[in-house]
Amino acid sequence: MSEPTWGLWGSWDDTQAMLGKQIGQSRGPDPVEQGSIRRWLEPKEFACEIHTDAAAAEAAGYDDLVAPASMVFTYAIAAYWQPGDAPARIDDEPTQIQIPVIFDVPAPCDKSFATSIEVEFFAPLYPGDEVTCTSKLVDIKHKELKVGKGAFLRQEDTYTKQTGEVVAVSYLDIFRFVAADQEAK
Amino acid sequence: MHIGDVEAGAQLPVVALPITLQRLVIEAGANRDFSLIHHDASVARATGAPDAFANTYFLMGMFERLMRDWAGPRARIRKIGPLRMMIFNAVGDTVQFKGMVEAVDPVAGTVNLDMWVESARGKTVTAKAILELEG
Repeated sequence: MSEPTWGLWGSWDDTQAMLGKQIGQSRGPDPVEQGSIRRWLEPKEFACEIHTDAAAAEAAGYDDLVAPASMVFTYAIAAYWQPGDAPARIDDEPTQIQIPVIFDVPAPCDKSFATSIEVEFFAPLYPGDEVTCTSKLVDIKHKELKVGKGAFLRQEDTYTKQTGEVVAVSYLDIFRFVAADQEAK
Repeated sequence: MHIGDVEAGAQLPVVALPITLQRLVIEAGANRDFSLIHHDASVARATGAPDAFANTYFLMGMFERLMRDWAGPRARIRKIGPLRMMIFNAVGDTVQFKGMVEAVDPVAGTVNLDMWVESARGKTVTAKAILELEG
């Protein structure tokens, strides 16, 4: 197994050139359905009938059984394998969650971590809905932290249904950097 | 819950959950974040974490549960965040999700919540949220 990488390499000019642009798009392979909702509730010991029973959801003012609001992220994650993909090999780099601001935006940094996320919800997700996430780089703030020198990159993610309706918009802040002890070498 | 029933300063009932590796694996399968730091202790430790640790979607979902347990099925979740992660929520930790009402806007029908996570490591995560309640 090779080591996972923590970001696409490039210059700060390369980073700047991506500002305001679309940096990624992912479409979930599966529509919203009851089984995936139940499996999501399970490890959280989350009991609420609007997520498991259509009649209870309708009594609470929904059109149908409704997915938890924060499941929107899950329904937009692309498949880890699909027909047509190359067979896996033991020395392949492991697949990490695809965060475009880390893996598709070049920066002179080899490490990264998420610092903050916020999400606003605009529409409920019902069985049969399919979710696409479109990502944009909306801010770059250079900063030196204790861990090293780098920049906060802000990714705006717009989640839409198959109808084009916006379900949610989130902002994710990622600090991309070179570790302080590496820089001195 | 109705907007008229809520006052600033009210506490949400605490939700406690033990973080085991099995729970992280069930969670990863359900939320589809298979990044290694969330289920492989050696990779997590190489990044400075004490062990495999809870991912962002897990924390978001648990804050949703905290709110839903308190506010009931008719509440609408409008916003979660900023959610800030300060300390790892790792295997072996029992985490407690807590919250309080920060402000109530009876005209808009909204409640602002201040929420956080505590473990033996301290206050590990903070999150704000906005809920819409019935009149």
